Amino acid sequence: MKAETDIRGALREWVLKTSTKITAGELKDDMPIIEERIITSLQIMDLILFLEQLTGRSIDVAQLRPGVFRSIDAIYKNFFEDGSDER
Amino acid sequence: MNVERQRSASRNRNHHWYENGQSAFAGELLELFHGIDALFLSWAGECDAAEYAFPTFLPAASLAKLDYFRSFPHLVTFPVTLDADEDNLSRFAEGEPMDQSGAVNLARLAPVCDVLTPAACYHFYPLFKGDVLDGPRYVTTRATCFRREAEYVPLERQWSFSMREIVCLGTAAEVTAFLDGYRRRISAFFDEIGLGIEWKEATDPFFNAPKNPKYLMQKLDPVKTEMVFQDRLAIGSINFHRNYFGEAFEITRAKEATFSGCVAFGIERWIHAWLTQFGHDAKHWPKLP
Repeated sequence: MKAETDIRGALREWVLKTSTKITAGELKDDMPIIEERIITSLQIMDLILFLEQLTGRSIDVAQLRPGVFRSIDAIYKNFFEDGSDER
Repeated sequence: MNVERQRSASRNRNHHWYENGQSAFAGELLELFHGIDALFLSWAGECDAAEYAFPTFLPAASLAKLDYFRSFPHLVTFPVTLDADEDNLSRFAEGEPMDQSGAVNLARLAPVCDVLTPAACYHFYPLFKGDVLDGPRYVTTRATCFRREAEYVPLERQWSFSMREIVCLGTAAEVTAFLDGYRRRISAFFDEIGLGIEWKEATDPFFNAPKNPKYLMQKLDPVKTEMVFQDRLAIGSINFHRNYFGEAFEITRAKEATFSGCVAFGIERWIHAWLTQFGHDAKHWPKLP
């Protein structure tokens, strides 16, 4: 498992590369990227593929709960923290 | 089950059910229809919503902008006309116009560029295209809406039905305040008249939902809450569109794509809930405006 700072850095980099709506200076880890439509429905499948690569595990889309992609904080907590259940 | 429900609804002599999924009303039921809509209009008046009356068709291009055809191909209904070429029209007129099953033997069709309204509020966003809002905008309309379904049940699931919507366009804070206020307002009304409604998070009825990213998005970030009667029938909903329509139609508020949200009511479903809860005798109905 990579260090937390590396993972958060990779997530931030993916958001900035994917979205045209935000700059590096504006993006914060607690920013609601779905609610503010920084990441749109067209990009959500790419996010899931990216997380599968980063975690090395497959994600069962049917099991995803509301809020798991709410922010970089939420993604880190749900997919990378010890004991995270990937949902 | 559906047969039982059909029998129950058709008990009322002021309601006529068409097998193609439509209803006609007369007498006390028509008064109830107007009374329920007057109630919604009185609620719309509480935010000074401007009322609009729209035509039946929407340009298909407006719905394509919203990806409607990919999301809801199973629901859409198109108005079609015959190609105006004289030979084409003659062939149709001189041939057998109907087949045994009751289907029209169509000749070549003219290009289809319109859609029968699938939801009342879709008319507002193309109309406001390019507008710069200097404050929140509140509007309301009632439209006959069309949604093709696999089967129909009187008053509950119809091909054409009446939808009243109250819509707010503004900043995220203005829209969420609008939606929260109406949820409280409507809940108080349900309590007052004793209509058993539960609020439930829901998703739109996307085609091939498990593979549709928009469905997944609604699951991850719920934006629709329904007023559910008897644990199974949504008689209305509260919807937060975020800035989806503002972006698609370049409507801006405070220098950014406007947010929007709507409160939607299905009038035939309200009539169903009303008759189920209070009976068919108008003497026992709660008072409406």
